[in-house]
Amino acid sequence: MHDLYQFVSGPLAWVAFILFVGGSLYRMIAMLVEVKKKEPFIFTYMSLKYSLRSIVHWMTPFATYNWRRKPVLTVVTFAFHICLFVSPIFLLAHVTLWDESWDISWWTLPDGVADVMTLIVIAGCVFFLLRRLTQPEVQFVTFPSDYFILAIVAAPFVTGFLAYHQWFGYPMVMVLHVLAGEVMLVAIPFTRLSHMIYSPFTRAYMGSEFGVIRKSKDF
Amino acid sequence: MKKGMTIIACAFFLLPFMLLSVHSQEDMESVDRSVFDNPQRPAAVFKHEAHNETAGIEECNECHHVYEDGKLVEDESSEDQRCADCHGPEDQGNQPSLVKAFHVNCKGCHKKQKKGPIMCGECHVR
Repeated sequence: MHDLYQFVSGPLAWVAFILFVGGSLYRMIAMLVEVKKKEPFIFTYMSLKYSLRSIVHWMTPFATYNWRRKPVLTVVTFAFHICLFVSPIFLLAHVTLWDESWDISWWTLPDGVADVMTLIVIAGCVFFLLRRLTQPEVQFVTFPSDYFILAIVAAPFVTGFLAYHQWFGYPMVMVLHVLAGEVMLVAIPFTRLSHMIYSPFTRAYMGSEFGVIRKSKDF
Repeated sequence: MKKGMTIIACAFFLLPFMLLSVHSQEDMESVDRSVFDNPQRPAAVFKHEAHNETAGIEECNECHHVYEDGKLVEDESSEDQRCADCHGPEDQGNQPSLVKAFHVNCKGCHKKQKKGPIMCGECHVR
């Protein structure tokens, strides 16, 4: 287990971070190159003002018509995404590892708060799973791979929760937790999780087209 | 006669403390976390005597080191001091914070020796 943990938290972590950062940059640049090739006209009406107007509205709960139309989904999706980002980045145990390896550290959450946020992420995954299974409009755009992607997102949080509480065989759960986190990082640029990279561009484009061309709101 | 009585009385009072200081290391089961304001994890399990026996450590300064001007002073040891006497709550230049000092001192050696706990929950056992 000693060697296995050293391997997943050492060389494999390097591979995961390089693929995550490199893959994200590649996807972003490839997308811009494709737009330039196929639809360069878009660049003539891209507007910072309308881009930001759209991004800010869609990042604010209930600030858009669609957020108001589906209040439960809105609450869940905001809680889910906030906890998804905040809990791993500001987790004491994670920052401790950054500090020991790179001498960098930042503000951290109390462990009890991070524990609750982890449960919110897991609950969000269950909600999205039920939604995919029961809502016809979601089923219509669901591929089998989407269930797999949902599992990739849930795994680091489920294993992290178990590792924190040291349930079901700690060392193995810990190794699985590191692996699950790495799988998720690598999956971000190469699956539908790439909406993390693309969503600001999507909103900027929509905001600009609605604001400049259609003279209307996209929220 | 009076002087002799005073010495005996003093020794009598000091005896428990002397025993305590000898016993505190032999009986040590975990790292004292009372120096931390708001400890988030259970105290790290550390059985001083059992550890040194298993690890084959004979010299105190293998762990109880002395640094001067950022350099390790060979042949000096600091087991008469508390770790917290030097290591504060935050890093100070090259001197790691108390948490980091514990982590680096223990885990660093375990990694080098490829033996001993290196994951959070292996020391901070619930």
